[in-house]
Amino acid sequence: MMKYVLKRIGMLVVTMLLVSFLTFLAFELISGDPARSMLGTNAPSYQVDALRHELGLDQPFFLRYFKWLTGFFSGDLGISYSYRQPVWDLIGSKLMITILLSLISFALIVIISIPMGIFSYQWGGGPFEWIRTSFNQLCMAIPPFFTGILLSYVFGILFRVFSPGDFPDLYEEPGAAFLHLFFGAICLSIPRIAMTTRMMRSTIVSEMNKAYVRTAISRGNDRRSVLVTHVLKNSLTSVVSFLGQTMAEILAATIVVEQVLGIPGLGRFLVLSIAQRDYPVVQAIVVILAFWVVLAGTLADLINQSIDPRLRLGGDLA
Amino acid sequence: MKKKMNRYLVVGLIITGIILAITLIGVFWTPYSPTAMKYGRFQPPSPSHIFGTDNFGRDIFSRVLKGTGTTLSIALATVAIGAVAGTTIGAVTGYFGGVIDELLMRLNDVLTAFPSILLALLIISLVGPGKKYNVVLALGLIFIPSFARVTRTAFASLRDMNYITSARLMGAGSGRILFVHMLPNVLRILLPAITIGFNNAVLAEASMSFLGIGVTPPDASLGYMLSEAQGMLKAGPWYAIFTGLSIILLVFGVGLIGEGLQAENREVV
Repeated sequence: MMKYVLKRIGMLVVTMLLVSFLTFLAFELISGDPARSMLGTNAPSYQVDALRHELGLDQPFFLRYFKWLTGFFSGDLGISYSYRQPVWDLIGSKLMITILLSLISFALIVIISIPMGIFSYQWGGGPFEWIRTSFNQLCMAIPPFFTGILLSYVFGILFRVFSPGDFPDLYEEPGAAFLHLFFGAICLSIPRIAMTTRMMRSTIVSEMNKAYVRTAISRGNDRRSVLVTHVLKNSLTSVVSFLGQTMAEILAATIVVEQVLGIPGLGRFLVLSIAQRDYPVVQAIVVILAFWVVLAGTLADLINQSIDPRLRLGGDLA
Repeated sequence: MKKKMNRYLVVGLIITGIILAITLIGVFWTPYSPTAMKYGRFQPPSPSHIFGTDNFGRDIFSRVLKGTGTTLSIALATVAIGAVAGTTIGAVTGYFGGVIDELLMRLNDVLTAFPSILLALLIISLVGPGKKYNVVLALGLIFIPSFARVTRTAFASLRDMNYITSARLMGAGSGRILFVHMLPNVLRILLPAITIGFNNAVLAEASMSFLGIGVTPPDASLGYMLSEAQGMLKAGPWYAIFTGLSIILLVFGVGLIGEGLQAENREVV
């Protein structure tokens, strides 16, 4: 058990190192000469050299990567080119908002889709099966930003429940801020709920066809009690892995939804910073988001191996 | 033997076929010019302008036709890149295995750590925003790993089948075995993956254009039009509604085809 956890954490560290290195390398290729672009093409070259020295850009690549990495873990994410402020001061509060937004969406997905998956198995089939499946496909087709536009039209313009584009302060008006985030979470979660429900249902269906279910039923258990006592627990591992991946997709979708509803989170700032070519900020946000995804995957694996001991031996689910 | 009709496949093909037909017509002919600004500002939907007009007095139906064309062509090109490159990689790694397989799969793990839009954003800032083919390039690249993963599993599971061994013993080359003998059996898995990939591509392109880093004028895509429509929500909500519904219908139709294909597979098994 302990050995597995350590091994998994080791893999986590290696993946994170690779992710951060690739990101750093990518920005090395993109950014060209930041000192020159900050000062403009007319600046004298001694000023550019001085700024380059100030930003530490005259040091070798690997040294800078190492410094950046150690800085990253001690809360020093560098200085923003556009604002000339520490990156961490700029993104700290925004990180909080994005975390809240994705956690609320995640909670909605888990709370709604797991029972829905079970219900749709129990009462699925029959002549109306195709309506349910089509509705499911329809929900998957709704892009989050379109829901965002509809919600801001109906609840923002017609009913004035919240004001899209004008996000209330998280600490002064937590209720209003939460409501605003909740609308964002609705946009994010509708297609994911449809996918997770579908996934949950098909996992249950394939589990119910396995030999142990036949054995349990032939010993006189009814299908429903087999579902509750055996199948659900065995279906859980696939659902947990799926939810781990869902975290990544929620994060990707927050970028767009924050833009639509005017939520001042990481995603919105990322788009702004890309437009301003503020690479230290972009780099920091990209690495934070990627770390988050890797962490979610690791957590899903750790939860799974505590559910299903076979996974600790490194085997796949049979 | 007469098979039960596959309802999802039929309905999905009908919806997608109608959209394709209308879009194809839209390439050559639209009821009004999609860029002319002379039809009166913010006309609500009426028989002469069935989707209404926008703040510049442009006919929205004509714009949606053109926009769907752009979105469709980008999504198709993206999926083509992803499927061809991904399947080739999946075939080679799945069939031969070994060090390349191991390396590519690890790279795959790292790439999945980046949310797809994020990766597309990175590539776009590398190659420069605004160009249609850059969007295709960025999206195509990020779709390769998922196709590679799906097909790799399929190729690996076929590798030790008897008919493959017999083909090898008869002296067939690797290329022939991979693409003549194995590929037809992989299609069963590849085709639903293509429909899912197509839908993801439509949604990803729409998101990127919505953020202003995808397609930019004069090439209007549905995503770009939605971001335009958001600013006119108060005076002309129909712009956003019809544009959004077009995206939903497009994705829904192809989604049903995917559902139908998967149902076919279940019957074979």
